[in-house]
Amino acid sequence: MNCQKLKDWFDERYDTSALKKFAGEKLVPSHRHDLWYYTGGIIVFLFSIQFITGMMLAFYYVPHADFAHKSIIEIVTKLNMGWFFRSLHHWGSQLTIFFLFVHLFAVLLLKSYRKPRELLWFSGFILLGIAVFFGLSGYLLLWDERAFAAVRVATGGSGALPIVGPFIKAFLRGGIDVTGETLTRFYAFHVSILPLATVFLMVLHVLLVQVHGMSVPLSLKEKNLPQTPFFPNVVYKDMAVWLVVLGVTVTIATLFPPEIGQKADPLAPTPENIKPEWYFLFLFQTLKLFPGEILGLNGETIAILLITAGIFALFILPLLDRKSRLGEKSTLFTLIGVVYLLYFLIMTLIGYLS
Amino acid sequence: MKLAVFLIFMIFFKVPLLWGQAKQAIEVFPSTPFYQYIIYENLAIFWIAIIGLIVIIRMKLREIERVQKLGLDKTDHRPGVPLPLEDGENGGDREGF
Repeated sequence: MNCQKLKDWFDERYDTSALKKFAGEKLVPSHRHDLWYYTGGIIVFLFSIQFITGMMLAFYYVPHADFAHKSIIEIVTKLNMGWFFRSLHHWGSQLTIFFLFVHLFAVLLLKSYRKPRELLWFSGFILLGIAVFFGLSGYLLLWDERAFAAVRVATGGSGALPIVGPFIKAFLRGGIDVTGETLTRFYAFHVSILPLATVFLMVLHVLLVQVHGMSVPLSLKEKNLPQTPFFPNVVYKDMAVWLVVLGVTVTIATLFPPEIGQKADPLAPTPENIKPEWYFLFLFQTLKLFPGEILGLNGETIAILLITAGIFALFILPLLDRKSRLGEKSTLFTLIGVVYLLYFLIMTLIGYLS
Repeated sequence: MKLAVFLIFMIFFKVPLLWGQAKQAIEVFPSTPFYQYIIYENLAIFWIAIIGLIVIIRMKLREIERVQKLGLDKTDHRPGVPLPLEDGENGGDREGF
């Protein structure tokens, strides 16, 4: 298809030569770790799937405690391909968070956060936090007994934080307990506040990548690496990877459509063996390690404080790792990265199996 | 008598079924074998299409790499468009090119 007339029409009105020049000259280094570059593109692609399927579900979802559960059952059982789009949205979210963790640990272990890329790390880290909150808020929208209990536990946990905890808990719940108010609040977060924040941070993140260029691991910095043009070579490779990811997501969504439990009943006892989503399992398992009371202090509060401190330390890691900032090898922070990764994997596995 | 039998039947057989139905899992996937067959068939076609597209992308990529290796991508020349004139050239021979 030749759109020369349309291109000429556009070129007469807007000067895109600088943009074309930039795209034509952008180079991506080729090395043994360049596989990790694709995880960023995969996340952008999965977020796009989430936006599209989410908008389709929003046409039929009713964000009210009395009708939410019924509206989802109707989406799944009565609408043409409704079950598929709901399943695709569910598995898309799982894979987005999975690839966000993969991307985070790849950046952490390859030290791609080092100067001058600190802002990239911060924006990416906040994006992960937003994605996790996306998952939690979306989980409650189902309004079944398991989602209800999980959100009660998660919001209750935030209340254990000293000083700000009760405020955060009340703000998230919209009251003392998880009610229809919480559902409305989480719906607002899920469909308006979080998507806006995501788009803003993703644009910022991608722009920062363009400003700084692709990161090269310290061990390969001195080597004269071959460069591949971003357009069209890397774009075509990205497209092939996206096709595989799309195929995998669609296959999982078809073969394993997520279950819908019984409608949430605030007065009913919490279901047995309730577990949070897999990305909360390491936190859940850590909380289990702590006794109810430590030296007269609330064990849960201490656990939440330690977890918060651990996450905050990871957030400010680029500021702590001075050697990497100076372009030197820092074994200590590689070890710290490995410890974080192993802790996450082992605790998630124990949480899953227990 | 008929009424008593009817009520007993309703109470012992039909009413518990209502609770039984309520506890049944909600179907999240079409249960009809016909629709299931169509879904799995479409999934297979979808994968064939993906593999086909990947093969096309790979072929295209190889061609691009070949052109880049030959250095042909460096020229600014678009096929069918006259080459830019050198200084001093009047382009007389190229008119109507």
